Amino acid sequence: MAKFNKSAAEGAVVGQWDLSSGGEKFDAEKVRKREKTKYIIKNVLVYLFLTVCAVLAFLPFYWMIISSLKVEEEFRESVPTFFPHTFQWKNYWMIFHQVTSESSTNATFGRILANTLIVGLLSTFLGLVIIVITAYAFARMEFKGKNLLFAVMLATMMIPGELFTASNYITVAKAGMTDSYVVLILPFLVSVYYIYLLRNNFMQIPNSLYQAAKIDGLSDLGYLIKVMIPLTAPTLISITLLRFIGTWNSYIWPRLVNTQPWQMITNWVTGGFVDRVQPDGFVLYPEGAGSAYGTMPLDTLKMAAVCMVSLPLLILFIFCRKYIMRGVSKSGTKG
Amino acid sequence: MTENDKDIIETEPQPEAPKKKHNRFVQYFINLGARIKGWFVDKFLTVKDFFSGLFRKKPKDEFAYDGPQLSKGEKFRRGLKAQSGWLFVAPALILMAVFTFYPIVAAFVNSFKQGYSSTTGAFNGWGFDNFVRVLKGDTGTGGANFVQCLVNTLILTFISVPLSTLLALLISVGLNSIKRVQKAYQTILFLPYLTNALAMGAVFATFFKIIGTKSYTETVGMVNIVLGWFGIDPVDWVGATSPHWQIGSLSIPWAKYIVATIYEVWSGLPFKILILFSAMQSINKQYYDAAKVDGASRWTVLWKITAPMIMPQISYLLVTGIMGGMKQYSAIVGLFGETMGQAYDMGTMVGYLYNYIELGQMGYAFAGSLMLFVIIMIITFINNKVTKKRTTYR
Repeated sequence: MAKFNKSAAEGAVVGQWDLSSGGEKFDAEKVRKREKTKYIIKNVLVYLFLTVCAVLAFLPFYWMIISSLKVEEEFRESVPTFFPHTFQWKNYWMIFHQVTSESSTNATFGRILANTLIVGLLSTFLGLVIIVITAYAFARMEFKGKNLLFAVMLATMMIPGELFTASNYITVAKAGMTDSYVVLILPFLVSVYYIYLLRNNFMQIPNSLYQAAKIDGLSDLGYLIKVMIPLTAPTLISITLLRFIGTWNSYIWPRLVNTQPWQMITNWVTGGFVDRVQPDGFVLYPEGAGSAYGTMPLDTLKMAAVCMVSLPLLILFIFCRKYIMRGVSKSGTKG
Repeated sequence: MTENDKDIIETEPQPEAPKKKHNRFVQYFINLGARIKGWFVDKFLTVKDFFSGLFRKKPKDEFAYDGPQLSKGEKFRRGLKAQSGWLFVAPALILMAVFTFYPIVAAFVNSFKQGYSSTTGAFNGWGFDNFVRVLKGDTGTGGANFVQCLVNTLILTFISVPLSTLLALLISVGLNSIKRVQKAYQTILFLPYLTNALAMGAVFATFFKIIGTKSYTETVGMVNIVLGWFGIDPVDWVGATSPHWQIGSLSIPWAKYIVATIYEVWSGLPFKILILFSAMQSINKQYYDAAKVDGASRWTVLWKITAPMIMPQISYLLVTGIMGGMKQYSAIVGLFGETMGQAYDMGTMVGYLYNYIELGQMGYAFAGSLMLFVIIMIITFINNKVTKKRTTYR
C-alpha cells in the first residue's frame, strides 16, 4: 500500500511539473497508474474468489467435525454456532455402543470395523495377486488366443457394472453364500482396468532385463517377484490404496447380499443413531427413565459416525496423495 | 480463354474420379457398414487363426534343424509349457466367467422372460412385457418409476457436469494467475477429492434440513437462515414437504435438484481442478510471452491460447463426468435417505435397478439394467463423435 501511495505521489508531482510543457509524460504516468490499480483490483478479486471457494470446499468438513462434538441442543439452536460451547466427546462413546438398527441381530461398531478391515485386506491382497499374475501373463507370456482374450476382457469395461449386479445377486443367493465374507470379496477380485494398467507398466520394462535374469538362472516366477514387482511398485501401491478405499466405500453390494452383522462401515453410517440407554444406565440426555429425545435419530451422533468414516479417508488422502492421484487421474473413477 | 490457358488448366493434376455420390447420411451408413464388416472379418480371422493354430501341423522342412529329437512325451510337455500362460490367467478367467461373462448373457436372456422368478427360475413365456411395464411404470410393486428416474438422472447430470466444469475452469484460471500461497489454496481445494459419498451427503443434508419440534429447540437449517437474511421464507429442501412441479405423472422436485446439484458440484470439483490446473501448468510459457508482445488482452489470451490448449482435458472431463453422472446413486442416498426422496421422486437409474433387486422383481431389474446399458452406449457413441471433432487442436 505504501508503495502504491508513493508512486501516486510521484505521478502527481511529475504531472504538475509537466503541465506547462505539453501533456505527453503526464498521460504515460496516468496510464501506468491505471494499469497498476487495475492489477491490484484484479489480484484482490482473484484472491477473494479463491478464498470463497476454499472456504466453501472446507466448510462441510469443519461443520462435520464441530457438529460431532456439539450437544444436540446447541446443534438445534436457531443461530448456528461455529465453535462448540462445550465439547461433548461422549457422542463418540455413544456411537461405539450403538447397534446398527433395532433388529435382533445387533452389530456394534467393533464388529463392523472388523468386517471392513478383514474384507478390505483380504480382497486387496487376493485381488493384487490375481491382477499381478494376469497382467504378467498378458505382458510377458505367449500363448494361443492371448490377444483375443485380452480384447474380450477390455470390452467388458465398456459395460456398466450395474448390469451384473442382478445376476450376481441371484448367483450368490443360489449358492447360499450370503451372510459371509466370501460374498463380499469374490465378485470384485478381478479388475480389468488394473490388469490393463499393470500390463502396460510391465510392458515398459525392457526385454533385456528378462534375458539377463534368465542367464542368471532366474525362473519366470522369480523374475516376476524379484524384478518386475519392485520396478512397478508405485503402480502397485496406487492399486492397493484404491482397492482398499473402494472396499471402505462399498455400500450397495453389502446391503443387498448381507444382513446387519455382516455389513460394512458405510452401511453402518446410513443408519439412524439414537441416544440409547446403556446397560449401566448411562444416557446422554436423561429424562425420566429414558432419553429426552426418545428414539429420534440425533444429528450430532450421526455426524460423529460420519467423522469416523470420513476422517480416515481424509488422513489417508493427505499422506498418500501422490499415489492416489496417480491412480485416479488415469481412470477418472474412485475405487 | 486462349488455347494455352486451357492446356495449363488441363495438365493440372485432376482429383480422382469421384465414386457414385451418395447423400451424406447414406454415405455415413455405408462407411459404418464397411467398418462393422471389417471389424467382424478381423475378429473372425483372429478366431480362425486361433483354432486352426491349435490343430494345424507345421509343414515339414526336410533340411531345417528343428532341435534335438524329442520323445512324444517330451514334445507334449513342451507344447503344454508354451501354453502355460493360460494357467496364469485361469483364476481371473474363472472369476470373470462367473461374475462378468455369465451375468451379461443372463441379463439379456432373463429380461425377456415374463414374470420371471429368481428363486424358482420359473417364468411364463418370452416377450417384451418387462420392458413395456418398466417404461409405463406399471410394475405394481410400489417401487420407483423408470421415467422419473431417467428424467432425474439426465437433468442432474446435464446441469451439474457443465456447471462444475465451468467452475473448475474459473478456479484453475484463478489458481494459475496467482503467485503467492498457490500451494495452500491447491491443498484446501483438493480436500473433497476422496470422500465417502454417503457420509458427506449426510453432512450436506444437515445444511438444508429443517429439524422437527420434538424437543426443546429447533432450527430451519443453515441455508434457510442465510436465505432469511435476504427475506426469503424457509424452504423444506430435503424433507417430505419439499416443493416440486408436477408435469402429468412426472414430478420435478426442483428444491431437491438444487441440493443434489450443489453436492455434486462440490464433490466433483477437485478432480476437475486437478486435471485442468495441471494442463494449464504444462502449457508452454512462450505462447503467453508472444501474446504479450503482440499486446493481446488477458481475455484474448484466455480464449485464444489457454482454452484451445486445454480443450482435450475439458472434453475428457465432460465425458467422464457424464458417464459418472449417469451412474449416480450413493450421493442421492446420502442426501435423501434410502428411499431416494419422497416415494422415490429423486430416484436415479442405478437406484431404480437396486430398488427392484431389493423388491425381488428381477425381471424389471434386468429390463432396467439393459435400458441403462443402451442409454450409456448411446452417450458413449455421441461422446466419441463429439470429442473426435473437438480434440483436433493439438
